[in-house]
Order: sequence, then structure tokens, then C-alpha cells
Amino acid sequence: MTVTSQIDFEEAKSEIGAIAAKSGALVGGVAAADAFMAAPEGRRPSDILPHARSVFVIGGAQPRAGDWQSPNYQHMEVTSTSDRMQTLALKIARTIEDRFSYYAVCVPPGVDQGQQPFMSIAMAADLAGCGSRSLAGPVLHPEYGFMYFGAIITTMPLPADKRLDTPACPAPECVAMYAAENTTPCFGVCPIGSGGCLGGRLEAGHISDRQYDSARCSTRVQNYWVPGFQKLLGATLQEPDAKKQKMMLFSSMFSRTLWSMTYSNVSQGQCSECMRVCPVGLAHRTKQ
Amino acid sequence: MGFYFIDPQTYEKYKDDILDLSHSVQINFQEQLPTDKRQPGLSDKQIAKKLGLEERAVREIRCVAERDKYPLDEFEEAIRFKENACRNYSVKGMSAVMQKFVEKSKE
Amino acid sequence: MSDLETETRTQQIKQLALEAGGDVVGIADPRAWDEHVPHGHRPDDILPGARSVIVVGSRGPTAGAWRSPNHRVMEINGYDFRNDAAIHRVADAIEQQHDHQAIQAPGLPVAGHLPPFSMMLAAVLAGLGTRSLAANIILNPKYGLLYYSACITTLEFQYDHMLEQDVCPHHMCVESFRRFGKTPCMAACPSEEGGCLDGSIDDQGRIDYSYYDRERCVTRAMNFGINSFQKALAQIVSEQDEEQQATMIYSDFFSRSCSAITHYKESVAQCFECMRVCPIGRSERKLK
Repeated sequence: MTVTSQIDFEEAKSEIGAIAAKSGALVGGVAAADAFMAAPEGRRPSDILPHARSVFVIGGAQPRAGDWQSPNYQHMEVTSTSDRMQTLALKIARTIEDRFSYYAVCVPPGVDQGQQPFMSIAMAADLAGCGSRSLAGPVLHPEYGFMYFGAIITTMPLPADKRLDTPACPAPECVAMYAAENTTPCFGVCPIGSGGCLGGRLEAGHISDRQYDSARCSTRVQNYWVPGFQKLLGATLQEPDAKKQKMMLFSSMFSRTLWSMTYSNVSQGQCSECMRVCPVGLAHRTKQ
Repeated sequence: MGFYFIDPQTYEKYKDDILDLSHSVQINFQEQLPTDKRQPGLSDKQIAKKLGLEERAVREIRCVAERDKYPLDEFEEAIRFKENACRNYSVKGMSAVMQKFVEKSKE
Repeated sequence: MSDLETETRTQQIKQLALEAGGDVVGIADPRAWDEHVPHGHRPDDILPGARSVIVVGSRGPTAGAWRSPNHRVMEINGYDFRNDAAIHRVADAIEQQHDHQAIQAPGLPVAGHLPPFSMMLAAVLAGLGTRSLAANIILNPKYGLLYYSACITTLEFQYDHMLEQDVCPHHMCVESFRRFGKTPCMAACPSEEGGCLDGSIDDQGRIDYSYYDRERCVTRAMNFGINSFQKALAQIVSEQDEEQQATMIYSDFFSRSCSAITHYKESVAQCFECMRVCPIGRSERKLK
């Protein structure tokens, strides 16, 4: 255990980053704990860990190139690797505490009461320079594109990184497409005006307006998860015909919601269509 | 409607046939058996073609029928079965399962 | 790519799989599926251009768990998903080091009890075992019962082939059948007594006929989980008496069903009685 007065925090940050990289993280960065002013009260780092000074963000565990190629959409509904980042985040939190004697806590990936996240990991990734918010919603890394993130809040005063100078989204291809066709790949695949989730405008190569129907997106991304289960349960309980009710309870849809909740670690993100067509990180999704 | 589920009348009409044609009861499933002996079950698509139904309906009927085949009593019986089998084996070993068949063979 | 290079990378990937937690590893030619399953369930249906299917098998319960007189011990500890972890390492290595597409083959069911891809068939075609009389479980010649995961990839490796020698029946089982009309697995779970299994062995000591009632096996092997939850819920919602309904909701049976949904490791592999008496792999479970 290192005595706190002797720590070179720049070196410590590098060491933590190296551990993260060796364990599978593609990217890492630090956001200052007091930079989360855009987050609502109660959802900031110091609300989770009093006297928090830094948030270490890791990103990785992307779907593989082969995953994106499968014509069977159900394949990605049951093979996510997002929990690898959470496992790694736990490891980093332990390392910070054991090695450097500062408090550290992982931001839980689930939701707090009222279906609210404990803290926005997406905001943390953006502030730490690990990526930028996209038109489609997920934070995209300029080189790797879509990935999963984890965040560790700590009292350790690590040097903060800054936000990306150039946002990853919109990509040059999307700017060109918007100029020619008034849409982008993600808008095109899931247009809010036609029963989809996404809409917006680009001006001078930047996002000027964004529309996102989160409730509709939830019906797709959490197709079979808790929201789907609750809806099905509600419909089933209200069915007065006992025979029909049995058909509903034993239906493939209801069964899928239970499988999804049971294997929740691989059921994250049950719709990836906006990301499938995203050009950011395409080079890393192209294999032989 | 809310979500897709099969109507009880269609279910009752086809459930036995669909379950019979599927992988529910597996007879001579082994890959190493001669081709003329193997009886692998059919996919939902193949069953649908055979019965003149939509694949989605076949899948739905099969899913419900798999659930429906045995009542909850069978799940309770399973607990008793495993409790007895496991404990008896820890005491008697292989004779826990073979004893009665050995004795039957002597009759 | 020369034969020597193919051979070298085949050895390397197999070594990686074993170091990552697999007990056995084999590689199957995707074309071998054509004879055994219809379209929609072949490697190419999941990953177009598939050239190899790498299959990893790992043991489930520890030798000590097999000895417990309490069957619940194995129900909770029966499956640690090491084979999945190993397959992820394999898929990562192929994409990162060999620049070819690779995916973890989807093993979870997406429609009732039918998975999109059969790991058991993959194990047979990769030469890791043969299908047995005991619930059609694939038995490995050395270890007996193993759990399997597969990686489908566009990279070609050297292929293994189906075993020429049947693993089941063991000569002890052949003798048992000839003398008493039952193999140990059939005796442990006889269909004529409400069990799942039946079969016969021919004069050459090979499987002549096999019978396996999968849905009955589900009531035992997935005793508590999605199935029991749905069935219990059907009964609970139709119960008119509120007090009775409350006792059903808080019953041990329903509680255990909910627990198995929450902890996914609890919801698979909850009956081992046919394997407990199986002589194949028995020597691997004899410790001090």
C-alpha cells in the first residue's frame, strides 16, 4: 500500500490505465468529479462517494466484427459482452483502494429508484474524453465507435483529461450524406417520423438539433427485458379468459422476457440497428 | 391484441402434432446411428410446411406446448425424485439404481 | 495460406482455449452441419462465410460436488460457464490477431426449448464426444459430461472429425443391459416409472434404440427457473382466495423459482441423476 503523500498522480493514472488496457479496455480517461454540473442533483459523483475528486472511465467490450455481420438479429440479443467492463471497473476500484489507499466505488450499471441511473456513465465518458455523444445516442469513440463503458469514482485526485476537441459524431460520411439526402445512416434506419426513435439536424457539420424517443427505443433495446416483462405481465393479468391467459403466460414472448432477465449479462442492448449502420469505428468492424 | 399469442382453439387443435414432430421426444437422435434409423425432429419451418401453417404460429404453439406438457405436480415430483436418487446413491452407490432390476432379472 | 501455417495457428488457438479454461477443444468443418440440421441452424446462417467452428468443453460440477448427498449443492454450483469464458478469449484472439470475423455462437434459446445453434451437435462434429443414451448428453471419452461453447469464424483451421468409436455405451453398461435389461442411466430414470429414458443395445454393443422425454427432463433439469415460474404464476393469478394466493406467492417453491430467474447459474443443470451413475469419466472424479 502506497503512502498518499508520496504518490505521483500522473504516474498513478498511467499505472491504472495500463492495468485497464491489459485487462481488455480499449480506452481510458479521467473526468474531474466537479465537472458533472449538467447532471441533476443526486446524480453527481460526490452524491455517490462523498469527497469524490475523480472519475476514471474505461471503455471496451465492443461487439465483434463477426457479430455485426450475422443476418440473425437474435444473435446479438443473447451474446453481449458488456459486463466485461463492469467486472474490470470492479477490479480497478479494488486496485485504487489496495494500491493507493484512496476510496473508490464503481458506478452501478443498473438503475436507482425511480428508474434513474445512479450517475450518467455516458456523461462521464464524454467528460473524460473517451468519446462524444452521438445523434443515435451512444457515446462514440472517434476511432473505435460504439463500445460499453464503466466508471469508477474515487477520492484520488487524478489529473483530468478534457473532452474531445472534435466530436466523433457526425462522421464526415454522415455530413456528406446529410448534405446530399437530408438524412444520416442512423436516422435512415430508425426515423422518428416513421415509427422510429431518431431525428435531428446537422448544420455546418455539427449537430444542431436532436430528437430521440427514449420510450420507443426502450421497446427495442429492452425488447424482452424488465419493461417488456412488466407490460406482458400487466396484459396477462388483465385477461379474463383463463385459456387465453395460459396462452399468454406460456407464450414465446413471455418466456423470452424471463430468459432475458435471467441472463441479463448477455441481454444488454437488444437492438443495435442504429449502430450497425454507423460509419464511426467501421474499420474495426471490418474483417475478412 | 398487445402482443402475439396463439388463440386457445388453434393451440388445442395442433399442439400434439407439433410436439410430436418437434424435438420434444427424441427417439434415435444419435448422430452415429445409421441414416435409416435416425429420427431427428423437424424445425419450426419444416413443421409449418408439413401442416400448412405459418412458421410463427408453429413456433408459438410449440413453445406453449413445451410448457404445457407436464403439470406443476411434475416439478414437485422432480424434487422428490432427485432428493431420493442423490441420497440413496451416496449411501448405496450403483446398487441404489440397479438393485430392483437385478432382482427382476432373477424372477 | 500454407498447410504448415494453418497447422501452426490451429495448435496455437487450441492451446489458448485450454489455457483459458477449456478441458477439451476441437474444430469442426461448418459443412458437416448440412447432413444434420436444416437451414437456419447451421454455422453459415449465424455468420456468413463461416470456415471453422471451434468448440470448447469444460467440466461442470467439481468432483467434490458430485459426492454431496444434497442434490441442491450441484444445482447451485453445477455450471460455472468456463467454456463461455474460454470461447470469448478464442474469438477475441481471432479478430484481434488474425483479422478475421469470429463470434461466440449463440447458445441461449430464443424460441421455447430450441436454441439457434446446437452446441451438442458442434461437440459431436468437432470430435469431442458422442451422443449417449442418457438424455442424449454428449459424453467425452475422458471426462464424460462436459459443457460446450462454440466460436464460429471466417478463419480456416485444420478440422477434427467425429469420433469413430462410440463413447456410449461403456462395456459395463453393455453387460448391465444384457443381464438386467437396463443400463445404469436408464435404471436411474426409467421412462416406464415416470422418468425420461429408455433404450436398447444391439449384439455389437452399440445403441440400437434410444428414447428421451425432453419435457419431463426439463421438469427436473430446470426444476426451478423460467418454466416453474410461468407455471406457478398461472396458478397464482387464477387463485381467487387472497390468503391462499399470498401463501402461494411466498411459498418456497415460488421463491426458489424467482431466485433461479435472478441468479442465472441456478437456472440450468438442476438434475444430474443419469450422469451420477454413468461410468464414463468416473475415474476423473475419484480424488482423495
